[in-house]
Amino acid sequence: MSSESACSTAPAALTAKDFRSSLKPIWCPGCGDFGVVNAIYRALAAIGRPPHEIAFISGIGCSSRIPGYTTAYGFNTVHGRALPIAQGLKMANPELLVLVAGGDGDGFSIGGGHVPHAIRRNLDLTYLVMDNQIYGLTKGQLSPTSNRGTKTASSLYGSIEDPVNPLLYTLAYGAGFVAQGIPGDLDGLAKLIEEAIRYPGFSFVNIQSPCITYGEECNQVKAQKANMKKLSDMGHDPADRMKAMELAGAYGSELYTGVFYRNPNPGPTYDSYIKGLQSELAPQARPLDSLLAPVT
Amino acid sequence: MLHDLIIGMAGSGGDGIVSAGESLISASAKEGYFAILTKSFGSQIRGGESSCRLRVATTPVLNPGGALDVAVALNWEDFLRFGGELPTNENTIVIYEAKTKVEPAAVPLKTPPAVAIAVPMEEIAMKAAGTQLAKNNVVLGLLAGWFGLAEKAIIAGIHKKFAKKGAEVLAGNDRAFAAGIEYAKANPLPQAKRLAPAAHAAEAGKVLTDGNEMCGAAAIFAGCKFFGGYPITPASEIMQYLQKEIWKYGGTVLQAEDEIAGVAAAIGASFGGAKAMTATSGPGFSLKAEALGLASVAELPLVCVNVQRGGPSTGMPTKREQADLFAAAFSAHGDTVRPILAPMGVADTFEITVEAFNIAEQFQTPVIVLSDQELAQRKEIVDRVDTSKLKLVERLRPTEADLANYSRFKLTESGISPISHPGMKGGNYLAAGIEHNEKGAPSGSGEMHAKMNDKRLHKLNPLTQRRDLFIIEGDADAPVGLIAWGSVAGVALEALRAARAEGIKAKVLIPRLLYPVAEQVYQEFFASLKKCLVVEQSHQGQLHKIIRMWVNTPASFEALAKSGANPIDPALVLQALRQMAQR
Repeated sequence: MSSESACSTAPAALTAKDFRSSLKPIWCPGCGDFGVVNAIYRALAAIGRPPHEIAFISGIGCSSRIPGYTTAYGFNTVHGRALPIAQGLKMANPELLVLVAGGDGDGFSIGGGHVPHAIRRNLDLTYLVMDNQIYGLTKGQLSPTSNRGTKTASSLYGSIEDPVNPLLYTLAYGAGFVAQGIPGDLDGLAKLIEEAIRYPGFSFVNIQSPCITYGEECNQVKAQKANMKKLSDMGHDPADRMKAMELAGAYGSELYTGVFYRNPNPGPTYDSYIKGLQSELAPQARPLDSLLAPVT
Repeated sequence: MLHDLIIGMAGSGGDGIVSAGESLISASAKEGYFAILTKSFGSQIRGGESSCRLRVATTPVLNPGGALDVAVALNWEDFLRFGGELPTNENTIVIYEAKTKVEPAAVPLKTPPAVAIAVPMEEIAMKAAGTQLAKNNVVLGLLAGWFGLAEKAIIAGIHKKFAKKGAEVLAGNDRAFAAGIEYAKANPLPQAKRLAPAAHAAEAGKVLTDGNEMCGAAAIFAGCKFFGGYPITPASEIMQYLQKEIWKYGGTVLQAEDEIAGVAAAIGASFGGAKAMTATSGPGFSLKAEALGLASVAELPLVCVNVQRGGPSTGMPTKREQADLFAAAFSAHGDTVRPILAPMGVADTFEITVEAFNIAEQFQTPVIVLSDQELAQRKEIVDRVDTSKLKLVERLRPTEADLANYSRFKLTESGISPISHPGMKGGNYLAAGIEHNEKGAPSGSGEMHAKMNDKRLHKLNPLTQRRDLFIIEGDADAPVGLIAWGSVAGVALEALRAARAEGIKAKVLIPRLLYPVAEQVYQEFFASLKKCLVVEQSHQGQLHKIIRMWVNTPASFEALAKSGANPIDPALVLQALRQMAQR
């Protein structure tokens, strides 16, 4: 896979190993996140930027431990705030490759309010959500993407709420790149993450990453692999936003993988406006000791 | 001749009373006076009641002052709504709209004023300018005529302000102003009261500004490259100033989706190696607390400005109060200390903001700046900032040798370890809110937690030795003393000077570093004191209580603590000093 997707512009032959840190993941054996981090190593090797030019920002949750398992600069922040922290970082240093990761609770519950704004601002960063429909780190409570009726530690009689649909949510707010993958299809997932990173603007990949401990048995890695339907096989055109929304509506019943939507004509990113404004206004700078206009 | 004059004016939103105050302070600045203008409004967006008070003097002005020398009421209902914000006494000259049909002997004030004059302001405006909108210019004319306020400069100011409205409006305003002057001349005060000419002509380089603008300018001077914030009264002007200016200096402003995102983005920028700031007021500060904890544990420099307003909750968004000291000292959970600085005036806001950046960089910590509504929004004529005294500090960067085997949170003697940032080869590390070891790897070890707590706390020790963050004035061996901070510092200073002029031996301590508490500085200040009074604008006397947590206080250690909105009258503090000296 890595040879297949290695970009021709990659300067040095970085391999997946170059992105693997020495920290041992805290995840349970069989957790989907192992596959996700492997896919990230491969995608980053294919992109070919050295680890010190990459910043990986996460929130709180099992999946948010992920930056520590890479050799990039990592920031395992507080619950729900990975997106604004990543945006501040990217604005301060637009040259960096910025990845953001977290779980469904981090992204669509406590941090849900930040998602629309990250999308409409359109900084060039990639948001990876490891969606497992459960709170694993706190031992099995209801998540914002849990299906109605799901019985958990905090919904003993079954959930009486409808889930958030992360795909429709991001599509509706105008994200330029929306995809879904599963760790069972490692090659496909690595390719999706790479594509997301290459997309010039805000990109979102929802990764159905099963929880082996609190997740539903019918929804584990192997079962997912058997159930998945590749959008490419279905002949879906990723430039068709309306069709993408229709397909995204099946979240929770069908397991579609691949690119739902890729804006064929991406507009300028927020980062590019910053550079433009700075260079346009720089000539107006006054000496720093006379910032305040004197009385005349 | 008067050397110090306090004028308070109130009217309805459309009366242009605040605009008149602004004209007066601009004119005063041009004439070489010193002045402070404070404004107060009802919380309506437009309309409602509005007021301002101008204190103009021939020598530097330290605070907005106490009782008004001159009170101007366009209508009594609005004037009275401001209560203690526009206090009058038996010496006040009251000028009011004759249309109110109140007899001068029956003006609705608790204490009968020295003089009450009913002026048909609206009628004069209609006659002179053909519109009652010009009545604020009539008021300006009356004030110029009766009190000798800068006539020419006021006219110049009016011209500048209305230039765009065309010749007709301009001429009307001129006539209204002249009519006001004429009315004053035709109806002289029983006893002439005129402001002495300014000691010096307008010195080049004097600046008419406010605390929020000072804060924004200082941030740019200090090298701030990122601001993340959210609109909130009375702090928004900091963001607005930076939004206008910071791009010119290679920086960026993010108006975030909420207060949390604002501070979070600033933390992200700081992680990226940039000096970063957020600014807010009480409710926003509460929301930022968790993020402040993150910056503490990840040891990231950050400046967080809290322009205090009346609280709790929405409280009084447009009014002064100093009641967020507890919230700042004990913001966020966990065992940590975040330095708190407070400017003692508008001019000082520049130096304190620069200092906040320096301390944040030097100690790799979030620093809280506690400004307040009065300092932030009062217009003041100040000397141009002498930036030659100000040094800038940058965070400790790793050397090549450090990067060979980099440990971001290395346990050093000072507690400060070199900090890398993304893009720096060899400096790759994991920053985290979670407790970590020297390399940054998550750690659940009790021993490591104790070591890291110790690192994060003891690195701040040198701060409490910073004598330059404390202002002490008065007799070193005085038996009585005052402590005051923020906008109240100027009130205490004025009272102290007046008391000493009466022969009372006294001194004042103004902490600009509020937290951590510099025990030794207080101990030394207390050494000669038998009685000490902490003057502050919070009902509980929050600084008074915080000092008592750390320092052995004099036998008599009291608080003159007042809830917000109404300014603290320097005369009240002087009276307290007299009593302390007597007993």
